[in-house]
Amino acid sequence: MEITFSNVDFAYDKAAKPLLKKFSLKVKDGDLIGIKGPSGAGKTTLFRLLLGFEIPDSGTILFNDKPLEPFQLQLLRKETTWVPQDLDLGEGKLSEVFYFPFTFAANRSKSPDEMKVLSTFEALGLPKSVWQEEFTNLSTGQRQRVGLAIAYLMDKNIMLLDEPTSALDEASKEKIRNLLFDGKRIILSTSHDPWWLDRCSKIIELK
Amino acid sequence: MNFTWGQLSIAFVILIIPALILWKFKTGLLTKMGIAVVRMTIQLLFVGYYLEYLFRYDNTWLNLGWILVMVIVADFATIDRSELKRNRYLIFSIFIATFLGVLVIDVFFLKFVIQLPNIMTAQYAIPITGMVLGNCLQSNVIGINTFYYSIDQHQERYRFFIANGSTQEEALFPFFRNALKKSANPTLASMATIGLVSLPGMMTGQILSGSSPFIAIKYQIMIMLAIFSGTVLSVYLGIVISSKFVFNERNNFDKTIVKKD
Repeated sequence: MEITFSNVDFAYDKAAKPLLKKFSLKVKDGDLIGIKGPSGAGKTTLFRLLLGFEIPDSGTILFNDKPLEPFQLQLLRKETTWVPQDLDLGEGKLSEVFYFPFTFAANRSKSPDEMKVLSTFEALGLPKSVWQEEFTNLSTGQRQRVGLAIAYLMDKNIMLLDEPTSALDEASKEKIRNLLFDGKRIILSTSHDPWWLDRCSKIIELK
Repeated sequence: MNFTWGQLSIAFVILIIPALILWKFKTGLLTKMGIAVVRMTIQLLFVGYYLEYLFRYDNTWLNLGWILVMVIVADFATIDRSELKRNRYLIFSIFIATFLGVLVIDVFFLKFVIQLPNIMTAQYAIPITGMVLGNCLQSNVIGINTFYYSIDQHQERYRFFIANGSTQEEALFPFFRNALKKSANPTLASMATIGLVSLPGMMTGQILSGSSPFIAIKYQIMIMLAIFSGTVLSVYLGIVISSKFVFNERNNFDKTIVKKD
């Protein structure tokens, strides 16, 4: 798999000066990319552009050498998992809302049994008790770990992680890296965390 | 028993009671009350005269035309009350949803239940359509308002699903379920308590004009089934059809559908 940003310009407010100017990046299987930069520099925007939630003002984004037109975009989205910083799975107990993403046709074959979910939670330092809690009552950090657990269990070829280590202690960080980084998939991550950035194969700085 | 227009005018005297109460507490509702009463009277006078002619001619096409007018009015009222932007796609979607909802119900109940030789007989087609339509309007308002406003409010949730490989239908499923639940609940609640808490207006009207209570409840049971089935069908269709226009080919939500103050 290959993702290419080529001379991408983008601004939310078309009158203001662009957030991204002539941004280019080529990513292939096995890359662990760290995107750093101050908040508001457009780190998360890169994910939104790649996922097709926003469209570049100029320049192109390619997935496997084809432009991200609607059909190609659908193919890409079937290969991706995205862990936002503030995960929202909806109202209900975690045990009820957790499986919803696994009911999608693209993910059904990956649907884990409860044992596997709980052992993944343990590896990420999530207590077993969260399973029966209202999802909306979990802390932001706990919700993000739930997102990381989903990403791990979905086992996709492309992972987009928003500040994956911001809510974790060092031991959990190590576990996440070991769980997610298999040397084959593409991982794009935004991060402020020197520990995480040190372990990325490439660092992109946005200003 | 019929009564005269003169007698009816006595009925308006009762308004002194609510008017005094509303005035005493400075609710500022007196003008509003005046307008509402005048509108109600004029609109019903108009409908009365109109229906009188409609019933006299009892022409299939004329009746169908009147039903279309009712559907169009309901269509616009649905969109305005749901606080969504009145664009042509939404007008089209809600029109189809309301019209189909009413049509299926009319054909089923008038053709197969009451077994009329001509289902477009004014005496049956107009009141039953009106009852179903009024309820479709209320349910559709709740349904599409809940659907689009909760997507607007929880866009990141929708995007999370899309970004994790869902199709648009899959990602919309929880929003759809929620909208259906909210819109079906009031009708279900009124079905469950009907006859115990209040006598339904239609049945009361039939009894007042001389029908036996047994005939009246048969019609009332039929109309409740018609209302419930018609509203669920039309909420479903309204969301299915309108969502084809509100999301683009990249599955992105067109926020402009939601009116923000």
